[in-house]
Amino acid sequence: MTEEKPRIGVFICHCGLNIAGVIDVKEVAEYAKTLPDVFYTKDNRYTCADPGQDEIRKAIKEHRLNRVVVAACSPRMHEPTFRKTCAEANLNPFFFEMANIREFSSWCHPSTPKEATEKAKEIVKMAVAKARLLRPLKEIEVPVTNKALVIGGGIAGINSALDLAEMGFKVYLLEKTESIGGHMAQLDKTFPTLDCSICIEGPKMVDVGRHPNIEIVSYADLVDVSGFVGNFKVKIRKNPRYIIHEDCTGCGECKEVCPIEYPNEWDMNMGVRKAISVPFEQSVPLVYTINMDHCIECYKCVDACGARQAINFDQKPEEIELEVGTIIVATGFDIYLPYDDPLYGYGKYDNVITALEFERLILAAGPTGGKVIRASDGEKPHSVAFIQCVGSRNLKKYEYCSGFCCMYALKNAILLKEKYKDDVEVYLLYMDMRTPFKGYEEFYRRARNLGITFIRGRASHILEDPETKNLVIRAEDMTLGQPIELPAEMVVLCTAAIPKSDAGDMARILNLSRGTDGFFMESHPKLKPLDTPADGIFLAGACQAPKDIPYSVSQGSGAAARAATILSKPKWKIEPIVAVVDPEKCRNTKVKCGICAERCPYGAIEAPEKQPAKVLTAMCHGCGTCVAECPADAITQNHFTDEQIFAQIEKALEENPEGKILGFLCNWCCYAGADLAGTSRFEYPPLIRPIRVMCSGRVDRDFVLDAFRRGAGMVLVGACHLPYDCHYISGNARMKTRMDALAPMLEKLGLSPQRFRVEYVSAAEGLKFAELMKEMATQMKELGLEKIKAENAKLKPILDRMLAKKEQKAQQ
Amino acid sequence: MTKTMPEKKPKSKTKEPLKTAKKVTITPQPTPPEPSPTPPIQNVEEKTSASKIAEAAPIKAHEFDPHFKYEISKMHGGENLKQCFQCGTCTSDCPIARFSDTYRPRQIIRMAQLGLKDRVLSSDTLWLCAACFTCTDRCPQGVEVASVIRILRNAAVERGVIPPIFKELSSSILESGIAYRIPELRLKKREQIGLPPLPKSNPEAMEKLANATGFSKTLKKGEQT
Amino acid sequence: MTTPEQSSSSKFLLFLGCAIPYRVSSYEISTRKVLAKLGIELVEMPEYNCCGLPIDPVSHEMLLTLAARNLCLAEQQGLNMVALCPGCAGTLRKVNKKLKENKELKEKINGYLKDTGLEFKGTIEVKHLLQLLAEDVGIEKIKNAVKKPLTNIQVTEHSGCHVSRPIEGVGFDNPENPQILKNLIEATGARYVEYTDKIACCGAPIAGVNDRIPLQLSREKLGHVRDAGAQALITVCPFCHMMFDTNQPRIERMFNESFKIPVLHYPQLLGLAIGFSPEEMDLKGLRVDPTQIVSQVFGKAEGN
Repeated sequence: MTEEKPRIGVFICHCGLNIAGVIDVKEVAEYAKTLPDVFYTKDNRYTCADPGQDEIRKAIKEHRLNRVVVAACSPRMHEPTFRKTCAEANLNPFFFEMANIREFSSWCHPSTPKEATEKAKEIVKMAVAKARLLRPLKEIEVPVTNKALVIGGGIAGINSALDLAEMGFKVYLLEKTESIGGHMAQLDKTFPTLDCSICIEGPKMVDVGRHPNIEIVSYADLVDVSGFVGNFKVKIRKNPRYIIHEDCTGCGECKEVCPIEYPNEWDMNMGVRKAISVPFEQSVPLVYTINMDHCIECYKCVDACGARQAINFDQKPEEIELEVGTIIVATGFDIYLPYDDPLYGYGKYDNVITALEFERLILAAGPTGGKVIRASDGEKPHSVAFIQCVGSRNLKKYEYCSGFCCMYALKNAILLKEKYKDDVEVYLLYMDMRTPFKGYEEFYRRARNLGITFIRGRASHILEDPETKNLVIRAEDMTLGQPIELPAEMVVLCTAAIPKSDAGDMARILNLSRGTDGFFMESHPKLKPLDTPADGIFLAGACQAPKDIPYSVSQGSGAAARAATILSKPKWKIEPIVAVVDPEKCRNTKVKCGICAERCPYGAIEAPEKQPAKVLTAMCHGCGTCVAECPADAITQNHFTDEQIFAQIEKALEENPEGKILGFLCNWCCYAGADLAGTSRFEYPPLIRPIRVMCSGRVDRDFVLDAFRRGAGMVLVGACHLPYDCHYISGNARMKTRMDALAPMLEKLGLSPQRFRVEYVSAAEGLKFAELMKEMATQMKELGLEKIKAENAKLKPILDRMLAKKEQKAQQ
Repeated sequence: MTKTMPEKKPKSKTKEPLKTAKKVTITPQPTPPEPSPTPPIQNVEEKTSASKIAEAAPIKAHEFDPHFKYEISKMHGGENLKQCFQCGTCTSDCPIARFSDTYRPRQIIRMAQLGLKDRVLSSDTLWLCAACFTCTDRCPQGVEVASVIRILRNAAVERGVIPPIFKELSSSILESGIAYRIPELRLKKREQIGLPPLPKSNPEAMEKLANATGFSKTLKKGEQT
Repeated sequence: MTTPEQSSSSKFLLFLGCAIPYRVSSYEISTRKVLAKLGIELVEMPEYNCCGLPIDPVSHEMLLTLAARNLCLAEQQGLNMVALCPGCAGTLRKVNKKLKENKELKEKINGYLKDTGLEFKGTIEVKHLLQLLAEDVGIEKIKNAVKKPLTNIQVTEHSGCHVSRPIEGVGFDNPENPQILKNLIEATGARYVEYTDKIACCGAPIAGVNDRIPLQLSREKLGHVRDAGAQALITVCPFCHMMFDTNQPRIERMFNESFKIPVLHYPQLLGLAIGFSPEEMDLKGLRVDPTQIVSQVFGKAEGN
């Protein structure tokens, strides 16, 4: 209930000639005056400029306005501007509403100024109707724990941790394996400089280990994350090393006496490690671990450890809980091991290996001491073939290009050639050579100069000579135009970089989305590559998409900067356009419901048994899906209430409804696409009356029913593309299910199917929106006014009955 | 195995089995009879192949038909033609390409992509595909290589290009419903060894179907060559 | 890689195709006897026509229509079909699948068929003999039926292309690493050897347009088979069989080679293991003399 009656001020903008050139602005202003509760109207040349804003502030004071409507450009343009203007005049910024008469009228209906003006009037009428019902809202402030969690101790995670630590924040660096370092520490040299990999990474790892602000939690798994931005509660399970961390000096004497060896995963199972050991010498933290799967408990290590007594066979997994303000996900990638492909013989033929295995062979500290030898006979190969794009760029396996394999193949080929010179013939079979960045093309030239033979042709089949174990590769040398059978004594497969095997679990725990390629999805591929839809959680490195070291390092630092924008503030503001449950109406108290909790894409609603559902405000992103899903209509969304939207529907269809298209457009995609149609000056017939919602998930089916009850010619629900574009993750999917159930019912009741449309338009598809408008206008004409009226007449009593129940409930 | 020329007789609509039996020996030995005489196989490689691009004249501007790829993409099996990025996987293990100097499925797809309609449709190597589908199974971009070649063959036939063997097979199917006319003796042998008689065939149905699908018209085009 | 399809498990319409009754009756003869022994009832189709594969290069529409006609005739009988020729089986399976999945295409083909009084409904399945043996009979039953394990011989297979390619359309076994025929051969007790390029095509489909390439192809394969030490080559396709058996003497002459590798249809091999005599299995219908391997099977003195 409002304390005082609404006193609305309407400001119509000329926007130079952008609006005034088509629309009769004065007429709209005159019209606005006739609307109930409008106490003041003014038209301005440029409302957003200082003089224009001044006028608004003055008018608010002089005329005691408590609601402001600006009829001008798109709210996506200047809503924040005018909200501030109101705030400066001591009016709650959420008493402001924008009427889009530029992108939505003057710019897209230039040849029909009369109709454009009529449309503008109605848009203003709708905005005034909503403004009447607006409520004051306060931005929600949450405290910020100024600590960060970095998940993943690879090169990206290391950089994030160091940058944040240098800024003065406490950082927990969570690493699943025994040591930080990631795949970079497994490499021999890095391209294009051919720096020794561990030599450049090692000092960074030591810095991390030594930094007073960084606490490494290693050999530990992420169990659960709850909370919201600024206030995450993280549960971690530390796995038992059977070594007391603080007491282990890393001397290695235990390893010397241990009798058990098992394949060392770090060496791609080509070398061994002891049951008590570190994965590699430069491990950070340098703490040993006992692998109980192999340990025979002979206790020789205990004897060797002696007085330090660092070994404890009774160690149990330990669960700890951390409180952090932001989380950076830098979990990295795995490589594809093509055991499942019989054509390449990996796993069957001795001398076919993957590139990472090759790295471990040629590395001086590797299991062969840097000698590249064949598994079949331990001899050096006289010919080695590198095969590119194994599993990558293949619709049947991984569609994407893994990005760094061309470069690492060149690197390995160069290392091989420089080590063994003319003793080894090196071939590289490729589809394309992708060497775009700094120093990369020069690196390619270096490879050619060494006499590496480049064959353009994708290898399809590898055959093995059963006696010599030599291989024959079938490919087509496309430049010659001949199929070839290339002999090689060793084959190195450059396989795809794939998401880590536990990416699914990580996504579930952190509420991250994954793209079609399985990597974590960023908020926007161009402008927000490190953010995720979950506030406070950022991405860095190859877990977002395969990338090389400099790119990973940059993203690590970038993610640290993004995290710091939150951590550096004592409090974080959250927009109050959130959902609120009315505990009286919630039926979870009587029956087991919980539909809202289940459908919320952010898990932001709790619906404990026999209790009313509760929205965790700070986690709510304001999509409104729960509002539409609630069968008891017990939830509202601040600033987008049912009441407000019904008011807009009523006003939109007050006059000549049969000739109108009522459109519910989602803010991020369809509304933006419609804006773009205007910006691009794509003309279309002025039939649509748009209602902006944050997410198509907000569109209640009752909105559609009410629209048709009031006689709408057509109804359009415009959403983000399925399946991944929804800015609230799954709002569009919920909407689709809802409308998929509604449409056949309406059709059965006699509604022509083309009158109710659900369309997917992205922010970039201005043309598509304009074409859609034209198409719907044509269809409406073909149907004809008479038919529409007749169908409406038939529908009305049925829809009245269906909506009566809802209206009854609302009055209770 | 000797090849014999069939006697040139006018095309008859009767279901008479081929009476060139005097060249076919049914020996009392238990070896199968010689296959029914077919016209001499013309080894399609001996002629100039369009894939010998180095020897043929450079490709001129008027030879490019940019609409060709869209036409092929509209047909069943040709949908992914545009996705081919010329990696050579299809050709590298193609059983025919390995034994041929000139047959390169990748080049045929290339010519189709570039719209070199005349070159590809008049190419002889187009008829060397064995439809083993190894290429289709292995293509990393989902191009149904063998299907595209089939589409091109169908298009070539529409232009009147059809190797003799297919004319034979087509007319046999039209007239008897099956690809090979089985000699009377064979049928009697079935009876003798106790095999059930063969299912009936239905030439009227064949004719109706051939008319409905346009097959009869297509074949007539081939007769002009 | 196969998921067993719903089938009527023991009664199948037999689709003979064009080549088998014409030139490869030993395949038919041995199959009928063996399947009867294994409890499968083969029902004759009252009417049929060519599956359409031979004229696919001329008109794909005709292939779809001819195959659809056969499927309709089978639907009228209410029975699933088994085809002995993988070309037929593959074609009928692919067309069956396409018409079931693509409404537009189904309507078009039904439009052609209307005049002949038929309508495709999509109610039956088609299998190749191998699939029937693997799924509806089953390895266990076959092993139990073997009275005389062929442990004295070692053989290998050429299962050919159309049994399992294209993977999308046919969806049976893994053409890159086929297992089914291998398992069936081993079920007879015979030893199985691998050879280079086992999965390569025999070249038969282009024998009508080029008589050099298919023979070169098959020659190379026979060479690999010989090098692997196989005493016989087992096939499940009339054309592959003709390529390796009927053409073997010609290949030997053309390339001055000596292979003398008998080529048996799988039912012939199984038939011997089950207890049928070589005459019953029509081994005399083979061109390359199988006497040596037969005598090994029956344990007679070698070099007979």
